[in-house]
Amino acid sequence: MKNSREKKISTGTLAFSYVFLILFTLVTLVPIVWMTYSSFKPMGEIMMHPLAWPAAPTLANYKKAFEFGHIGTAFLNSVFYSVFATGAVVLLSVAAGFALTKFGYKSSKTYTGLFTLGLLITVNSVITPLFIMETSTGLYNTRIGVLLPYIAFGLPMAILIATSFVRAIPDALIEAAVIDGATYTAIFWKIILIISTPVMATISVLNFLNNWNEFLLVFTLTSGQDMRSLPVSINSFAGRLNQDYGLQFAALVIGTIPMFVFYIFAHNSLVKGFGEGAIKE
Amino acid sequence: MLQNREKKRSYYALLMPAFIIYISIIIFPILMSLGLSFTKWKNYRMVGFVGLQNYINILKDPVFQRSIWNNIQIMLISVLGQIPLGLILAYLLYRKWVKGAKFFEMMIFLPITISSVVVALLWNRIFSPVGLYTSFVRQVTHNPDYVVTISESPAFAMIPILVVLLWQHTSLYMVIFMANLQRIPDSVFEAATIDGAKEHIIIGRIVLPELAGVIFTCSVLAISGSLKSFDLVYAMTGGGPVTYTYVMALYLYQQTFTFANYGYGSAVSIIIVLLSVGLIKLANGLYAKAQKKYE
Repeated sequence: MKNSREKKISTGTLAFSYVFLILFTLVTLVPIVWMTYSSFKPMGEIMMHPLAWPAAPTLANYKKAFEFGHIGTAFLNSVFYSVFATGAVVLLSVAAGFALTKFGYKSSKTYTGLFTLGLLITVNSVITPLFIMETSTGLYNTRIGVLLPYIAFGLPMAILIATSFVRAIPDALIEAAVIDGATYTAIFWKIILIISTPVMATISVLNFLNNWNEFLLVFTLTSGQDMRSLPVSINSFAGRLNQDYGLQFAALVIGTIPMFVFYIFAHNSLVKGFGEGAIKE
Repeated sequence: MLQNREKKRSYYALLMPAFIIYISIIIFPILMSLGLSFTKWKNYRMVGFVGLQNYINILKDPVFQRSIWNNIQIMLISVLGQIPLGLILAYLLYRKWVKGAKFFEMMIFLPITISSVVVALLWNRIFSPVGLYTSFVRQVTHNPDYVVTISESPAFAMIPILVVLLWQHTSLYMVIFMANLQRIPDSVFEAATIDGAKEHIIIGRIVLPELAGVIFTCSVLAISGSLKSFDLVYAMTGGGPVTYTYVMALYLYQQTFTFANYGYGSAVSIIIVLLSVGLIKLANGLYAKAQKKYE
């Protein structure tokens, strides 16, 4: 604990700090807690006593969600899209980061500029042509047709983070390996990838979160139930027009839990990732 | 010589997979979009070249004008709501006056992990006649007939969405500011404390100037983020009632996927890109001007 941060402050400031933080925490948590216990209530109880704790907790809503919502399939699809897209983004971004910083070619600057441009471009600005391209090439409603845009949209930010990390690796290390006769490809696999583990962790956590919660691409580029991810599936069977509130609450809890587990384990990398993404400008 | 050839080959082998995917899925479609935006479609077929007609029709459409105004509201709540609140939270947590700062940080950051669809549907339930907010207000005001009606009003229909955006994204800025506060050397605070500087002096003279750059970066993030809002609005209101909560991305979606107006939809997407590049350039210019003034 550093002294400078523990200097005496007035009671008023201290009270304000507590009130502000406690209020904010309550506003954040109460909706989530309410959603969770409501999911164990039958429809009648949700209508009659919206705030009350469930009188006789039931799993009926969850049973219905799994039966009607094909939640199992959606969950597996989400895992598939998120894991493979994240894996590809991590590998490709470190590879590109190495090429762009350690080869000393003039063209690197142009490539870096083009990738940076991608930070400004959002999914909805390419969705119309992408849809036309995918329907005319047969990629529409296929897993690869979802994965490719996931990877493409993950790359600009990942390359930005990877580039600044790889740039800081000492050149001497690479020169020594070259003198020993190592090829650049070997240097990538045996040196760069190993040293880059920390930045790969940051990129994966950030990218995984984005992929898991992505909505528009899966929503527009797939049509079959068997291709849908969790957010799209939840929206289609428990969406805004659904009147079965119990089912809706159960669906929302199912949509939330996997990320809570992920959050508990990845909290520190997430904080680091978001911080780093904005520092590098 | 041999080594040079190997080097060149490795360079392209490392760079090209990323570059090809990126170019063909992001850059090429943007150019295609530009081309499409001058065309007219009927029954899934291109039926002709219409020049700037799509753009003129879009700008004249009252639904699009409302969408722009709604996007501006989202932008304002992001820049003037989320960023200041995030800054206050970050500062309170950074100074560690309170016990359990780590706990507060973990809890407040939590909504970041929840998908917008889930957030939207949850808040629809909260504001519904049998919802958390409605029931709470009924208990406090002893008015058993209270319901949320603001979303029916043409002028204020966006308010519930804006509240939810505050709930969802404020902590993102909190985390970014915390990461940057940690970069201010402790000696700066020590010196200020020894000189007996009051808290508001420390904030005004040290903290805010140190964070000026990142506050700017966050504003750019917030501006470009607010132009692309789709998931939350789509899942929460679908643009309704009537078209009160339409946003540009929703308008684009409807033109492309409901009416199959690919040309018209592409023109909307080009307008969104131009607006976001323009706004960011404007912000950059203002920031450079402000920096010069204070040097």
